Amino acid sequence: MKTRYFYIVIAGALSLAACKKSFLADAPPTAVPVSSAINSNSSMADAVNGMYSTMRMTSLFGRDIPVMGDLMADDIYISFSNSSKYLQENNYTFNNITPEVIDIWTQGYYSILQANRIINSSLPADATVNQLRGEAYTVRGLVYLELVNFFGTPATVNLNAPGVPIVKSFTTPFIMPSRNTVGDVYNQIISDLDSAYNLMPATSIPSNFHATNSEYIAKYAARAIEARAYLYKGDYTNALAASLDVIQNGGYTLSAATAFNAYWANPAPQAGKLETIFELALNTQTNNGTNGLDGIYSQSGFGDMLCTDPLYASYSATDVRKSLIVSGKRSAQPALIVNKYANYLLSTDKDDIKIIRYAEVLLTAAEAYARTNDNTDALIYLNMVAQKRDPALLGYSSTGTTTISNILAERQKELAFEGLRYFDLTRTNVAINRPVEPFGYTSIALIPVGDNRRLLPIPLAEINANGNVAQNPGF
Amino acid sequence: MKINTFYRKAIDHQRLHRKFLRIMKLTTLLIIIALVHAGAASYSQKITLNVKKTPLATVLKSIKAQSGYVFFSKDLDVNQTIVDVSVKNASIEETLSACLKNVPINYEIVDKTIFLTVKEAGIIEKVKNFFMAPYTVKGVVVDEQGKPLPGATITVKGANIRITSDENGAFSITSNNANAVLVISFIGYETKEVAVNSNSENISVQLMHSVSNLNAVVITDSYGSQIKKAYTGAANTVSAEELNDKPFTSPLQALQGQVAGLNVTSSSGQPGANIQIRLRGLGSIGLDSNPLFVVDGLIINAGDMSRLSAGYTNVLAGMNDDDIETITVLKDASAAAIYGSRGANGVVIITTKKGKNGKAVVNFDAEVGVSSNIPIPEIGRPLSAADYSTLTVEGLTNEGISPTNTTSGIPFYINNYGLFKPGTNWYDLVTRNGQQQQYNVSVSGGNQSTKVFASAGYFKQEAGIIGSSFNRASGTLNVDQIISKRFTISLNFNGSNVNQNIPLEGNTSFGSPVNSLYDLRPTQNAYNADGSVNSSTADNTSFPTFYNPLYSVAHDKKQNNQTRLLGALTLKYNIWDNLYYTGTAGMDYSSLEETQYYNPVMSDFASVGGSGVNYYSRYANWTLRNQLDYKYNIPHVDNFHVDATIGYEAEKSNGYFISAQSNNYPSTQPLLTASANASTAVLGNASFSDYSFDSYYARASVNYQSKYVLTGSFRRDGSSRFGLSRQFGNFWSVGGAWNVDQESFFTNQHIFSSLKARGSYGILGNAGNGPNSTLSNYSAQPTAAYGANYAGSTGQNFSVIGNTLITWESSKDLDVGADIGFLKDRIVISFDYYNRNIDGLIQSAPVSRTTGFSSAIQNIGDMRDRGEELAITGIPVKTKDFKWTTSFNIALNKNTVTKLASDASYYNLIDFHVKEGGDFYTWSMPQYAGVNPANGEAQWYTDATKSKTTNAYNLANLRVDKYQADPKYFGGWNNTFVYKGFQLTTDIYYSGGNYVYDSAAPTLTDGTQYTYNKYQYIFDNRWTTPGQITDVPKYVAGGGTQADGATLSNSSSLSTRFLYKGDYVRLRNVSVGYNFSNLNTLKKYGINKLYLYGRGTNLLTKTFDGRLPFDPEVGVTGVRVLDIPQVRTFTIGLNVGI
Repeated sequence: MKTRYFYIVIAGALSLAACKKSFLADAPPTAVPVSSAINSNSSMADAVNGMYSTMRMTSLFGRDIPVMGDLMADDIYISFSNSSKYLQENNYTFNNITPEVIDIWTQGYYSILQANRIINSSLPADATVNQLRGEAYTVRGLVYLELVNFFGTPATVNLNAPGVPIVKSFTTPFIMPSRNTVGDVYNQIISDLDSAYNLMPATSIPSNFHATNSEYIAKYAARAIEARAYLYKGDYTNALAASLDVIQNGGYTLSAATAFNAYWANPAPQAGKLETIFELALNTQTNNGTNGLDGIYSQSGFGDMLCTDPLYASYSATDVRKSLIVSGKRSAQPALIVNKYANYLLSTDKDDIKIIRYAEVLLTAAEAYARTNDNTDALIYLNMVAQKRDPALLGYSSTGTTTISNILAERQKELAFEGLRYFDLTRTNVAINRPVEPFGYTSIALIPVGDNRRLLPIPLAEINANGNVAQNPGF
Repeated sequence: MKINTFYRKAIDHQRLHRKFLRIMKLTTLLIIIALVHAGAASYSQKITLNVKKTPLATVLKSIKAQSGYVFFSKDLDVNQTIVDVSVKNASIEETLSACLKNVPINYEIVDKTIFLTVKEAGIIEKVKNFFMAPYTVKGVVVDEQGKPLPGATITVKGANIRITSDENGAFSITSNNANAVLVISFIGYETKEVAVNSNSENISVQLMHSVSNLNAVVITDSYGSQIKKAYTGAANTVSAEELNDKPFTSPLQALQGQVAGLNVTSSSGQPGANIQIRLRGLGSIGLDSNPLFVVDGLIINAGDMSRLSAGYTNVLAGMNDDDIETITVLKDASAAAIYGSRGANGVVIITTKKGKNGKAVVNFDAEVGVSSNIPIPEIGRPLSAADYSTLTVEGLTNEGISPTNTTSGIPFYINNYGLFKPGTNWYDLVTRNGQQQQYNVSVSGGNQSTKVFASAGYFKQEAGIIGSSFNRASGTLNVDQIISKRFTISLNFNGSNVNQNIPLEGNTSFGSPVNSLYDLRPTQNAYNADGSVNSSTADNTSFPTFYNPLYSVAHDKKQNNQTRLLGALTLKYNIWDNLYYTGTAGMDYSSLEETQYYNPVMSDFASVGGSGVNYYSRYANWTLRNQLDYKYNIPHVDNFHVDATIGYEAEKSNGYFISAQSNNYPSTQPLLTASANASTAVLGNASFSDYSFDSYYARASVNYQSKYVLTGSFRRDGSSRFGLSRQFGNFWSVGGAWNVDQESFFTNQHIFSSLKARGSYGILGNAGNGPNSTLSNYSAQPTAAYGANYAGSTGQNFSVIGNTLITWESSKDLDVGADIGFLKDRIVISFDYYNRNIDGLIQSAPVSRTTGFSSAIQNIGDMRDRGEELAITGIPVKTKDFKWTTSFNIALNKNTVTKLASDASYYNLIDFHVKEGGDFYTWSMPQYAGVNPANGEAQWYTDATKSKTTNAYNLANLRVDKYQADPKYFGGWNNTFVYKGFQLTTDIYYSGGNYVYDSAAPTLTDGTQYTYNKYQYIFDNRWTTPGQITDVPKYVAGGGTQADGATLSNSSSLSTRFLYKGDYVRLRNVSVGYNFSNLNTLKKYGINKLYLYGRGTNLLTKTFDGRLPFDPEVGVTGVRVLDIPQVRTFTIGLNVGI
């Protein structure tokens, strides 16, 4: 009997001895819980890299934003021989299920999520953490600036119009935020960019967690983007202050006219603060392949996007920027081929995506001066850019609204194919006149002020999943 | 008091008895009279008999011969009842009274029929018995061949005595009942009753193999076995005879049509491709809907683990069906809830053969033959060069192309595309007759302490399409060893290696042979003038876009090599009389090596010098189980026992995956396809995937005289796949069975031979079964992963949104069923009604994109499957020389989505409209309105009234959603005819009520893509003349333009035009064999069995849509892609037993 009981105890113990609770807490070596993903300065630097990688995608800065910023305005058009991309934007027939509309919204918030995670991480502040967190603040501000300008009424028109929902942290998958006003979003953008500016050390990142060059956001990149935000908001005093800060303290320089083509032809990042303030890295390993921004311009790629005739005509013969546009042929018809991104076929490196350049800051300063009635200083900064590009130019000497027009025209010429033109037209609230090109694909010529299509619709998928988000009028 | 109760019982009993009898009489009378009178002849009414110590059977035969009376007996062995009788010119009553004087048998005469029943002991007998001296009866239990049956159960009716026969089948039992009745039973045999008395000596009881599978079958799952009679669940067992020796690449294919409610289909005829199994309808949307698979008690990985050619591999293809003893399908809660979180889609339990006591038996089986593909319907064949040329010129003419211009007109096209030349018959070049072979050898044997089964097998199948083949080598070793009186140890081992060659497949591969068969123009030249294979891309008579499949098949390579090792060690320990411990440790190891090589000359990777992809995937799962079983006989109550089981099970799976790709292969060395020869590395990485389950389970059943059985099961499962706070779920079931035939009143009717009613209810779960389950570890929580590199530095992203609230899908299953036997269970009808309410479906459902993600896994939406199953098995004819066995089953299922996320409905895979109240697979597409007879344009309806049509596809606003892709009914009808040594087996499968869609229609049906070949149907039925009524529009090359200048709408756009009735009946298997019985010559050489057979599979298919251009077995989603057709085989085989 005794042995029997002994066996029962053994059997019972075997039978009921469960594994420890940790048995179910598997930790496969492919992912880490978000809560412990940023646990050191080094892993925060990794997260910053991850954040930049989300911006690089074609669905955000990698192609959609820079293409739409020009195509929906008057810089480029789609050849009749095309690969069926951006046809709805070209003809302003986009709707709430247009892929690019969905992509910008979705990928924009995906980048914001990455930034939020870095901003909200509990790592104690030190110089490195401040720099990295500052980069995240900048990205958040920048992406909200894109979102609010694509989906919200221009701040110059109505600050109280619906903007986009502000999400500053990840809580659960089931949030349903409503749209904040355009004013609120701008306040958030400026707050973020201020935080970034204040956090980041003036020089460079102290320890070697990532390179210090144009492929990473630096203190004055945050300031430069803030200048753009103030300009879009119509707050010219602050736009001026921010741009002057960059100009006076940032240390950036413009390229000599003779070196300008070489500057664009160079796929490598700028370490010497030449022209580029911030650009997204594309290299041999990480690039967008045939779907990259270079591929949509290069005739070796899709080559759908061509420069409009009026834009080409606006450059004087001596303007070095004109040489970035090549008069060639597409499908046997004359075509003005954009050559700003010339490294499509280069296998060792790819063209980076320019997010903000020094010339824009100078022109922002010029416009801010002009709009705050300092014509003299406005002309100084306008000519600083214009004469650098066209050494033969005698310089502008206009006054009043003509100066502003000249500045906007110069912005178009300088920033063409970088996706900014559309916002100059929307923030200044003017009609969008789009050239009718003889070999262009069907497009619409005029988008007047007040046309509902000047805003992208909120994606249907968002409205279906989030009943609190209101649609823009007309969609 | 006691006596009072006894009497009351007896009276109640008799009242019931009479009442039942009366009812039965009414209903049976007509049948019986009809039966008896039909054969009634003239007989004398006077009977003369004079016999001593003669079996009652002989006496009855004599009475029947003299009088014409027919006898029916229940629970009686008239062979074992010995009587003395002497009567002369007696009446039937006198004769019977004399006959049954000394035996406890009652008789009753109904018209010309006499019913014999065992007499219940009356009070006098009881008292007599009390004073009776105990006596001992000795006997032996033997089987049909007279071999002893050890382990048979012998009880004395009405007494609490139970013994089992010894190893020689012998028993010795003591009774004090003057006329005792012994009940002898053994699993798999019909129970017999033998009347004995103190004079009985050395009786021999012969048990016959059970005709019905109701009493015989044992339902074995991972946690125990139950006799089907006492089983409260819905389960079906398919035995070796239905499974073995069939030339299918997976035992699952042999299951098709065998089990009511089990829908077995495959979308591809690639040998070894994944088999899609749905038990009782669709069980999940986001997770696996396949059942759980268990081999010899071990939960195993099943399904498709391929990462390179999804859908084309199947882990179970490594299983040799010749090694399988039974496959049991657990269908309802009572049967499957013990599998808890993974039982919701049912459980398929595969039990391999075990060694049997006795002389070693060696079985050798060889089968060889040819394989081809199921013929494509004539109307679905691609056009000949002549027809294609005619059609193309007609299309160009209709488009308005100049008939004379030699640079851009029709002469140009004729020249450019090589029209009106002899051309190539791609169908002939791409299809072939392949080889079908299998060889199996097995040894089974054992003694008292050791039993061994060992086998080895080789199987080869070449599909009817070039480049597609499969071979398998497999082996099994099962050993059962009794170590001591208390210890038993069992080892199960099963290993296999599968090799597959898969050509490029699907609608999109330019080198896919099946794609080429349909799409390539018959005017493209397969060969150069010198007879070599044409690999030119120069012009339209060569291969400017598509590849020459002859070149692709010869130079590309797509190979899978799958190794499967299953092993389990089980230790049983009898702690004391009725308490057992079972410990099991099991291992399931499967690896898949996948290689794909694209040649550098003519492939998608020609521009990068060819490419090679190598994947290695490996899963290693282990299971540990500890279990206690206790059997308890409730004292003082006859035949009343409780079986209880408790246990703990832990399972861990570890997946390991390597991926590599490289480009730039040496173009002049076509044999150098190994990645090491490539000069550019493209991809190289490895990853892991783990999951674990942690489970407690318990089961108990209460069985009262096998009359009333009540079972309950409970399982608490924890899984690493769920949120930390939601890892555990509870699953349970209750079930009951009432064997009406065990009631004494049952004996008073003579229609039913058995009757069982059963019902169950329970909650089962689904945590995703397959190796590639949607749910992985960490899918429940937000995670970040590396790989988001930037500027040459490593980067990490918040990449999975997770959902910490995610938990089990649960299915509330109700089943009510009955098993009814007729004619000594020669015919058994089983019926089941079931209702499955599936809650908390796990799906990736949309979330606000402001989270950064578009969707998150959620428990969202409910679904219901409701249906009926009917199975009839029977032996309609059984004579000395001829036996016909038949089984028929049908299952009806209705799937209904009962709750969806906040948005009322959504479109899935574009074509399905998922909405509350509808079937999940409800097609949604514009309704085709046929061809306008006036101008030949395609038309669609614009609104629900169908009053208006449009020729503009974008205005075709009526989307019909009344057709479903999943079958409304399906089943099988299987027959075996045996005449002397000859045996004929036929298996028929049918399925219907569904619609299938042709996704290849855009290229194969209208002139928009005139550079592709077309179906014969298009050529035969195209609109050519005004007034012509047809459903094929005017053929216009390039699509043409309409009168209003707008582009002509593609008539091949998604619409009901390409939705076809999916109903079909298929003759799956026919085999004819001869069993040589006169083996005297051969026996000299040690051969004991010789069976020669011929077999054909997939011989005939009957479809019910005259327009259908393809085989309607296209898989569960009802979408046809240009995939490898199902294989048809003709084989001859030889089965030798030593």
